[in-house]
Amino acid sequence: MKAFIIEDDLMMSECVERALEQALPTLDNHVEQEHKILKITNAIEAMSLLNEDLPDLIFLDILLNGPDGFSFLNELISYDDTAKIPVVIVTSLNLEKYDLGHYNIKHIFQKETMTPQQIVEVALEILQDAA
Amino acid sequence: MVREVDGILVAAHELKAPVSLLRQLALSLELTDTTAEQRRICAQMANVSERALLQVNDLAKVARLEDGLFDMEPVSVRGVCELVSRDINPLFGYDRKALQVKYHNRNHKLAIANAELLYSVIYNFCVNAIHYSESNTTSVLTVSDESSKIKVTVRDFGPALPKKIWTQLRRGGLDQPSAIAMRPGSSGLGLYISSRFAEYMNAQLGAVRHRDGTSFFVELPISRQGCLF
Repeated sequence: MKAFIIEDDLMMSECVERALEQALPTLDNHVEQEHKILKITNAIEAMSLLNEDLPDLIFLDILLNGPDGFSFLNELISYDDTAKIPVVIVTSLNLEKYDLGHYNIKHIFQKETMTPQQIVEVALEILQDAA
Repeated sequence: MVREVDGILVAAHELKAPVSLLRQLALSLELTDTTAEQRRICAQMANVSERALLQVNDLAKVARLEDGLFDMEPVSVRGVCELVSRDINPLFGYDRKALQVKYHNRNHKLAIANAELLYSVIYNFCVNAIHYSESNTTSVLTVSDESSKIKVTVRDFGPALPKKIWTQLRRGGLDQPSAIAMRPGSSGLGLYISSRFAEYMNAQLGAVRHRDGTSFFVELPISRQGCLF
């Protein structure tokens, strides 16, 4: 299992990473698997890493240094192999007014209200559906 | 004025990120091997961060009131009070104080309000009660029906509200945050925010001075939709 956390605030991405580390072992079903969580600070680096290996899940902040999360999402849906990757948005923006229907967004977390437990639950649900 | 409003919005957004992060860090710490006492402190840090986040969000909302983005609709006042009570009870507990909720609106009538703004008004009343009540006292949140209004009151037990502020509220609200002299440590910001939100909702905000504390209240117009039944 491989996950990307695209977030320019390293402390925040570590919080998401810690929560994910709690979730991933429960996915194994008695089979040892290698889990890889990559913390990426900008959309350009994330796109270049996508060329190497596709993740099973992406956690994405919207306000990033350089191209923002929407630019990344547009890039993501423009290729057939990356368009299907489930994305979880982690943001402090209110996204109600945005039309996000054409992206493969599975969940939107508000940074001020999300909890590690919720991150675990959402990650497990998405990964189990995909399995 | 526009510059000032923009400045508040920017400041609120800038503050939101570090406070959100502090809350996440506190919650992350709970995941590690910690003692019961450490977990208790983590929970306190998270709750206090949530309170700060609410105030930061309120500031952003004040700056956006003029845009008229907050819809007015029939709202269950009781439901909003239950949410506030659930969220703020731990904060009362940390200060060795308590909050009792009483409902005197048997008909469950709805009020015309914006649920988000109403939540903030009641939450701010309760934060005030935490701050000023004496230890080991129980503040009381009451919801009651009046002829054409629903009244939400938070009664605290501490120093009485200064007459100057009481008079300003009676005249229709506060024009700006002002320190409540007899209530040390106050900037009056919470009351100012509540006053602005009440004004937006066409609600009446006021206070009753007691010898041993203050009752802050907001009166909301009853929704006539209920008359269909």
